[in-house]
Amino acid sequence: MKNILRYVIVRAALTLPMLFILLSVVFVVIRVMPGDPVSSMLGGHAPESVIEKKKEELGLNRPMIFQYVDYLWQICRLDLGESMILKQRVIDAIKLKIPATIELTFFGMLVTVLVGVSLGAYAADKRRSPQDYAIRIYGIVIYCIPVFWLGLMFQMIFGIWLDWMPIAGRTGARVFASTFEKTGFYVIDTILIRDFAALKDVLIHLVLPSVTLGLMLSGVFVRLTRANMLDVLKSDYILAAEARGIRHRRVVYKQAIMNAFVPILIIMGLQVALLMAGAVLTESTFSWPGMGRLLLERIYMRDYPTIQGVIVFFALIVALVSLVVDIVYALVDPRVRY
Amino acid sequence: MKKRWGIMALVIAAVMTASGACLAGGGPLVYGTTEKVIDMDPANAYDFHTWEIFYNIYQGLMGYPPGKTNLVPHLAESYTVSADGKTYTFKLRQGLTFSDGTPFDAHAVKWSIDRVMNLKGDPSWLVTDFVERVDVVDSATVNFVLQNPVAYFPSLVATVPYYPVNPNVYPADKIVRDPSELKGGKIVGLGPYEVASFKRDEEIILKPNPDYFGPAPKNEMVVIRYFADATTMRLALEKGELDFAFKSFNPSDIKDLEQSSKVKTIKGQGPYIRYICFQCKIEPFKDWELRQAVAASVDRKEIIRKVFLGQNAPLYSMVPMGMFAHTDNFKTVYGDGNLDFARRVLKAKGYSEDNKLKFEFWYTPSHYGDTEVDMAAVLKQQFERTGLIDVTVKSAEWATYRDNWSNQLMPAFLLGWYPDYIDPDNYTSAFAGTAGSAGLGIHFSDPKWDAKFVEEQTVTDLDQRREIFETIQKWWAMDVPTCPIFQGTLYLFTQNNIEGVMISPTLQFNYRTIQRVQ
Amino acid sequence: MKHSPSRKMAVLFARFAVMGKKYGVEWWILVVGAAIITGVVLMAVFSTAIAPFDPYDQNAGPQLSPPSRTHLMGTDNLQRDVFSRIVYGSRTILGVAVLAAILSSVVGITFGLISGFAGGFFDKILSLVMDSIYSFPGLILAIAFAAMLEPGILSITVAVAVIYIPTYFRLVRGQTLQIKEELYVEAARAIGASGRRILWQYIFPNVIATTVVVFTMNVGDAIMIEAALTYLGLGLPPSIVDWGMDLSMGRRFLPSGVWWLITFPGAMISILAIGFTMLGEGLAEILNPRLLEK
Repeated sequence: MKNILRYVIVRAALTLPMLFILLSVVFVVIRVMPGDPVSSMLGGHAPESVIEKKKEELGLNRPMIFQYVDYLWQICRLDLGESMILKQRVIDAIKLKIPATIELTFFGMLVTVLVGVSLGAYAADKRRSPQDYAIRIYGIVIYCIPVFWLGLMFQMIFGIWLDWMPIAGRTGARVFASTFEKTGFYVIDTILIRDFAALKDVLIHLVLPSVTLGLMLSGVFVRLTRANMLDVLKSDYILAAEARGIRHRRVVYKQAIMNAFVPILIIMGLQVALLMAGAVLTESTFSWPGMGRLLLERIYMRDYPTIQGVIVFFALIVALVSLVVDIVYALVDPRVRY
Repeated sequence: MKKRWGIMALVIAAVMTASGACLAGGGPLVYGTTEKVIDMDPANAYDFHTWEIFYNIYQGLMGYPPGKTNLVPHLAESYTVSADGKTYTFKLRQGLTFSDGTPFDAHAVKWSIDRVMNLKGDPSWLVTDFVERVDVVDSATVNFVLQNPVAYFPSLVATVPYYPVNPNVYPADKIVRDPSELKGGKIVGLGPYEVASFKRDEEIILKPNPDYFGPAPKNEMVVIRYFADATTMRLALEKGELDFAFKSFNPSDIKDLEQSSKVKTIKGQGPYIRYICFQCKIEPFKDWELRQAVAASVDRKEIIRKVFLGQNAPLYSMVPMGMFAHTDNFKTVYGDGNLDFARRVLKAKGYSEDNKLKFEFWYTPSHYGDTEVDMAAVLKQQFERTGLIDVTVKSAEWATYRDNWSNQLMPAFLLGWYPDYIDPDNYTSAFAGTAGSAGLGIHFSDPKWDAKFVEEQTVTDLDQRREIFETIQKWWAMDVPTCPIFQGTLYLFTQNNIEGVMISPTLQFNYRTIQRVQ
Repeated sequence: MKHSPSRKMAVLFARFAVMGKKYGVEWWILVVGAAIITGVVLMAVFSTAIAPFDPYDQNAGPQLSPPSRTHLMGTDNLQRDVFSRIVYGSRTILGVAVLAAILSSVVGITFGLISGFAGGFFDKILSLVMDSIYSFPGLILAIAFAAMLEPGILSITVAVAVIYIPTYFRLVRGQTLQIKEELYVEAARAIGASGRRILWQYIFPNVIATTVVVFTMNVGDAIMIEAALTYLGLGLPPSIVDWGMDLSMGRRFLPSGVWWLITFPGAMISILAIGFTMLGEGLAEILNPRLLEK
């Protein structure tokens, strides 16, 4: 027990320099780049005087080191800045939009795991058969199809041609979110007030976006599950189970998956980066009012403080998730220690 | 309204047999739009959509009956004008209160106007350019003292910045963005509706205001649903999820919806215009002849066909069609795609195949809809058809765009206009009067023109004013500070069972007359 | 001796089949990938010959017409020929992706070699920086860069390139660290060979093989990122012909039954990305079977 505690503490401490580097990179990206953002914001050919005035306004004329320290200090207090254009604190904007993204990524992950794990397990089971190769090709192809194109095709086929599902938004036009919204997680909110018609509406609006996002990541999962499963299937206790007469299918789908699952869980954590990227594109395609859309909207508006704040937020999440994943991994694998 | 979605002169949108129809039941009316609300504050809101909401939750001293063009007193009972035309005395309706009990009186009116003048928001010029001060005579009488006599002052009073707000709820020194910032957290107005719930960029729920002094709304609730893109809105309308939808559809959607039997189309000539602005103080468009050459090569019909699938009308003057004093000077002088004229002028100026006239042409990609990219691409081709022009197309988002024109960075750029008040003055002096022109990045200045503007603003005889405007339009085709392209057609679509949609020529869209019939 | 073209083809195919037997499915995956890439590269190089119309020509045909014999992929709302735009668009996407991959590899490999070889504090810091960038969602970093720079080919190339520098860095540094300890390097050092010489003659060649595989996959990824950026309207101005941009501009015509504006650009992006990924996978299996799981 003491060992793992030590690991946790050391690992948490190590997060700080990593975070520090990440935040510095963001700072550099937003500020110290060719193509001065202020002049870019002003169209590229503004006269010096105008650029200077704007910079003064934004406090960009102070020595870089002051801005840097200020920036870090702000983040320590979890103050992500305030929008230049809309007079809104970045943290408030994020709080409004993040439940939508979490809901989408949650269901997306669900789809990824369901599709990826089952296909991967099946492929491992039927190793070197045509099904195996077909599934491996699927893995490559699904990764290479742009997620936004996949989304558009789904919208076209299921939304417009077949008219089975809505193509955008979290609720239908006649379902008013303000009547049930409490946590921001509409699935939970509609259950809480027992409005099952609204729940149905919310769920059906989740289908296309989460399937799109989920499928995009499933390729990676197929391969990982297959690889893990192959290892597990070769191991001794599986052979023992088969020897004892347990049906083949049960062996595979129960024992093997259970054992392959933990590494998969860990991989899930590492896929957060990919998930966030996919979410941005999916939210754009399905007009999903989440963090990804927020980032894009503010980019179009050239609202630099919000852009910086959102990216910092993403960095914080990445650091946190990576910390959690490493700890879980350490809990599971006793060999990992400092 | 200067450059944003403002009020438009729509000929009466739907003259339906609404009066005797049965009272609608059947739930809330859902209204879809792709517009956005910016500031829920009459002192700073300067976009078409927010003004539309205010028409329904607030009232002005003057206003228009639904679907009509005549100005009538609203919160005021009557008004008189002093002999020198500089003082307007309004007698206010008695006995009205805001829903929190605050009385509506002259004090509230003065407080609101002072607030607008103090905060200096975007639309404040509608007040500060004309009004010198407001005096309280007694609790039911108010004096507006103007800087100069203005022929159309009552129509100014009907605009949103003049709307009285509750002094107990609005902060005197801050612009309010969300209703949650108000004392009490809710908007309390004097109009037919009150804001029951406000979720920015998602929905606004309007319920009838029990304290409204006029006729009660014919519907039980109006919910405005905001869409991120027109495609989704079109599909929602077709599926019956929306009762009506307004602004803005893609041209291809308009084409399909017009032909569809599932929805009703309400269409009319809007007072919304699009045009090219020239930066008249820097190269190359300092030279008025070059402005002429570029204006001559514009082929309006091609733009309307290609970009808008034929859905707008070509415009040959800054004063829109349907407005008094409109003439078609650009047509008579240039026509469309007059490449000979353009080439002649350019060659005379020394330009040739090897030495082309080069300039940057700017547009803003989302403020006016998705069609801007295409419009810029088509115009570029039209200019370059002369063989003597080389255009680089550039774009900037709205905030940057405005900064750019303030800083004179765009030699030629696309702009649009919704009127603030219905008068040719709003379409002309704002662009070519020395003050207005500088404010829009055009920087055209000619004392001859300024004198004419002052004249038309103070003269009250209609014939005289008409003559002045005709002269101004004639000069416009010569000096070309801006080049008009088209006048927008307004489209509003409703389900087949919706009646009572009325949009006035000023684009005042009152929700209270709309109802669902069985 | 002259051989007829059909004989040459037969010989080529026979050689392929032999390799196929030897390496199995992976060889065919590689071949398919290479074929796709070759096809698109040819399209890009010979655009002027292949495209029937000028991609900017706003009078190429009727407005919004479906695929037909004259317009294989239909026309858009500005009456431009979609097929020509696809053909010319291949230049943009291929150009940006390859350029970006070259940029990242040069920077990443250089830093990886130096860092791995030099070691010490410099190495630790650089590794930390690279690890941080590596863990961050690539697309979001690219979006940030593209948003800050003025739209243009150079900007989008830089935006895409930045994401992959850590990949090369980590790979090369790892290998450098490994090889550094090898016996023959120690021997060379004993003889007195300079650091630079060791780097160049011993370490670099060994690193190349894996790098080629990574490079191929990198281009595939870069294609996806480029398409994503232009789809979002970032990175390139609308005056440059680009698949991602055409995809986003064709979207609004979908409910009107216009399917060809989004189908073809999206399919091309997918096909090209699949081509590079397949080539990468095939190469990986064949060059270094231990690199990937069985």
